[in-house]
Amino acid sequence: MNFPLSFWDISLWLAVAAIILQATSELLSPYYAKTGILIEKRRLRTAALTLGLLFMFTVFIRIYQIIVS
Amino acid sequence: MNLNDPLTQTLIFIALGAVLAITVITIVELRTKRQPSIVEAKNKLSIESLNTTQALAERAKQLQSEKEMTLSQKPQKHTRKPSEMVAYTLLLLGASALVISILYSSSILAFIGLGLTFWGALLLYIKPTKYVKASLLDSTALSSLKTIDHIITDLNYRGKAIYLPPKYPRSLKSGTVFIPSEKELVVPPAEEVAKEKVFLENPRGICLTPPGLGLVNLYEKELRKEFAKVDLRYLQNNLPKLFIEDLEIAEGLEISNEGNMIQVKITGSIYKNSCEEARKLSNVCNSLGCPLCSSIAIVLARATGKPIIIEKTQPFEDDKTIEAYYRIIEE
Repeated sequence: MNFPLSFWDISLWLAVAAIILQATSELLSPYYAKTGILIEKRRLRTAALTLGLLFMFTVFIRIYQIIVS
Repeated sequence: MNLNDPLTQTLIFIALGAVLAITVITIVELRTKRQPSIVEAKNKLSIESLNTTQALAERAKQLQSEKEMTLSQKPQKHTRKPSEMVAYTLLLLGASALVISILYSSSILAFIGLGLTFWGALLLYIKPTKYVKASLLDSTALSSLKTIDHIITDLNYRGKAIYLPPKYPRSLKSGTVFIPSEKELVVPPAEEVAKEKVFLENPRGICLTPPGLGLVNLYEKELRKEFAKVDLRYLQNNLPKLFIEDLEIAEGLEISNEGNMIQVKITGSIYKNSCEEARKLSNVCNSLGCPLCSSIAIVLARATGKPIIIEKTQPFEDDKTIEAYYRIIEE
């Protein structure tokens, strides 16, 4: 009984989720128009940026591995 | 379709993510529509209509019938918000999918589980804070403005309101506006203002708490900065972001200065109705200002450390933009 996803699967998942959230957060930005959607847009952007940063972290690990090997 | 193929798995995952994103946005949009509009000011009572006895009697009748209707309804059970229900369902499904994926070593189920859990948690995280109707905002602000207008009219004070800067450290969070009895601009000495008296004798006038003080303290809290410790350039760079993005008070804000005149252009403000109503009050609009114009005057007084007056406010033809001119008074 092992968790079926590898580190790189999670990295891919993070990338896709980050892109979806970043795009959503950009579309809902009050700079373009008042969308009228009652959500915490700042929190949405924080979540998107956090996922993006986590993905970048996995990328750096990958780069480090390539350099070391 | 080979489900073991990594490309297929990725495509399925992307499709699932997109479907979830659309679902979440649709749910939030539906919920927004179900809630009473926060922008549209419905059943708004104009100041003039309140003055007639007939209008008041009609309003009283309307309120009475509304009250009876409310009382006749059966008390409803408190139900959870739809978004919360959806979030918890997603979390539960996601957790189940993750457990099953471990049991059967299925990477597809693991992806689905991760996605569902993530969206469930996200939906709980981004749920909105409390919103109030814009009509409520207008009504609350207007009554106090009308009272101030009555007081100034009764006292026959004809001077322009002067927003005084905080002179002592203990009063950095407070604000005072001085309305002189005569037309000429006379700034009272700091010692006189520090006595915290309402009516001043030398020079003759009235000291009031400005209508925008609460808003300014909210701006400072949001920016985590005291305006008394910043300059005009900081305001030009940071106030637009605060107004548009953080507090969503307006759709646009521009601050420009020329000599001792500061021009502020506000577009699509949520205080539009208050501003319109305040314009009907002779002693408020171009002197004390509506809560939004007043808040900007306090911000400028704090940042420049000098008294400020609202020179004039004028709406644009598009009915969305208000331009306010502030003047710095050299003591």
